[in-house]
Amino acid sequence: MTDPAQLPRHLRRIGRVFVDESMLDSPLARRVRDRLAGTTHADIPWIAVPEGQDRVECAGRDEQALYLKEYKGRFLRFCPGTRAYHCCGYRIIHIGENCPMACSYCILQAYFQDRVLKVWANQDALFRELAEGFGADRTSRFRVGTGEFTDSLALERLTGYSRDLVGFLADYDNVVLELKSKVVDLSWMDAATRTDRVLPAWSLNAPAINQGQEFDVSTLEERLTAARTCAEAGFRVCLHFDPIIHFPGWREGYAEIIDRIFDYVRPEQIAYMSLGSFRCMPQLTPIIADNFPDAAYIYNEFVPGLDGKARLLRPLRLEQFSFMVERLRRHGMDEQLYFCMESTEVWNEVFGFAPQDFGGLNRRLMDRAFGN
Amino acid sequence: MPTTPALRTLAADEIRTGGDHLFWTADPSETLSESLRRTGQTAPVLVRDTGDGPELVAGRARLLALRALGRPVLVLMVDAPADLDAGLLYLADNAARPLDDAMRLAALRFFAPLLDRAALAADILPRLGVRPGSKDARLLDAWLDLPEPWPGHLAEGRVPLAAGEVLARLAPADREAAAPLFASLGWSRSNGVNLLTWLFEAGKMTGKPLADLLAESGMADVPALGLSPKDAMARLVALARQTRYPALSALQAEFEETARELSAGTAWRVVQPNNFETGGAELTIQVKTPAQLARAVDDLDAMAAKPGWEKLWNMGGRRD
Repeated sequence: MTDPAQLPRHLRRIGRVFVDESMLDSPLARRVRDRLAGTTHADIPWIAVPEGQDRVECAGRDEQALYLKEYKGRFLRFCPGTRAYHCCGYRIIHIGENCPMACSYCILQAYFQDRVLKVWANQDALFRELAEGFGADRTSRFRVGTGEFTDSLALERLTGYSRDLVGFLADYDNVVLELKSKVVDLSWMDAATRTDRVLPAWSLNAPAINQGQEFDVSTLEERLTAARTCAEAGFRVCLHFDPIIHFPGWREGYAEIIDRIFDYVRPEQIAYMSLGSFRCMPQLTPIIADNFPDAAYIYNEFVPGLDGKARLLRPLRLEQFSFMVERLRRHGMDEQLYFCMESTEVWNEVFGFAPQDFGGLNRRLMDRAFGN
Repeated sequence: MPTTPALRTLAADEIRTGGDHLFWTADPSETLSESLRRTGQTAPVLVRDTGDGPELVAGRARLLALRALGRPVLVLMVDAPADLDAGLLYLADNAARPLDDAMRLAALRFFAPLLDRAALAADILPRLGVRPGSKDARLLDAWLDLPEPWPGHLAEGRVPLAAGEVLARLAPADREAAAPLFASLGWSRSNGVNLLTWLFEAGKMTGKPLADLLAESGMADVPALGLSPKDAMARLVALARQTRYPALSALQAEFEETARELSAGTAWRVVQPNNFETGGAELTIQVKTPAQLARAVDDLDAMAAKPGWEKLWNMGGRRD
């Protein structure tokens, strides 16, 4: 039995809450205040941030801060894919930035070099923009997600953001929302009126990577159990192997997790599954080396890719992809599988076809998301 | 630094010259000895009274030269009871000397036990011409904890200052294993840093001690091959790169061999343009005359008829 006064482990380092002055009375700020009341974090300081102040800072070395901010930029964005590789065409609903968990390979370490968890508190503006974007032409389909610059569910216990979004999107049957996470929080489920318009998604990795490189996250078993709960409730789920890491014992590790998936869900309950090899901006490597000295995988054979990011040498990627795809196919996976940011060569080598052969990856995934 | 401006003349043998604060000691040059012989001493050496007799604070080369000439020494008695004071006076007296990396490190190694790291950076680095927080400051900081023989290698120009950070990251046993590669070869900045970085990273990647990597790769045998220093270093760098990037190196070697067969006897260059991220090859040639152009076209025709292109284009793909 979990203690209701205790926040989930990944939220316990939050030591203060910053709020833009204009957001002090926002529904989101009120909700966060209510949800912190009665917890071990009820008394953490709340600090109003005056207009024009562009920086807030955490106090202690390990402390994190929640920042409820009035966001002035675009909420609906395109995924920052590059032309050199096949992008899935996912659209991003930008709800905040940064993540309270600590995964050694995470790109957010390079994007956000502080411990401030930003949440866009001006939800009315976000919903207005989404209504304009999704409502202009109801025949246009959108496959959207919130897990690009943050984890979709990491702050859900405090913000209820995904639940709000699920409720809002109930009016838009031309939109499928993917909630991508490494933690388990299913409090959004009862806000969904159509189980075919929400795709709960979890990242998976080899057990050794989960144990040695992902911290303050849910276990693989917890994630898969949550996926089963969702599938039993009628949702289709997404599972993502990204980043796939080349480490001693990777074959056994990835075989184990692949086999374990199908103890929890059936292939037809999986809308799609991505495979992406570890890749990073060159400036991330020294950050990982500093933050996670035991992360030896960064010293593998990485070369500059066509997009300037460091990528594992192609034959090594092919070896891993082929192994995993073959094993997944043996479990009945087929059209659900796709590569995140890979070249035509790699697609052809592993799958025997490339996205242009089936009308493009975006279209394939859109069809799968909408259950066509 | 309070000083007592008291000039005296002492016999050279009266003055002790053994303090650690004399961190840039050098024997007197002939020029200095000749100048002192002809003109005499124009600037006093600095001496402190330790209660155990006079001790030299700065001016060792002058003192040794005057001692050799059998002349008395003009000294300025200074108030420097602590070693820190003596070191700072020595620095001040040598402010005009051109410094190299080894001298900066020697100074920092003297001051390090006497100051905390923050004070060392703020007070001493600027006196050595190094901006606190700069890359050189970081490198010198890394060097501070490196044991012999590395400071000695730095002083002899066998290892570059820039190798400090990677040397500091190596485990002591790995550093010890790498030391023979620097015992007699003078490494340039890029080669020295690449060599050590590749070895460090290969060790991380494989989980093997550096001694094992050196033995397995043949690097340990290179110093005994009797190669010229330039050839020995080139061989070591190539082997270190192979150790760090075994699959990429093997692919590149295979590509180069096939490309050589295809372009033999021509001026065409055949290269893999992107580390095998895609298949294919890039062909280039430089021509300056119509005749060269015609020859290039003929050569290309002949090359196109050779077998081996499919193999070349597909390198980097899956190998079953």
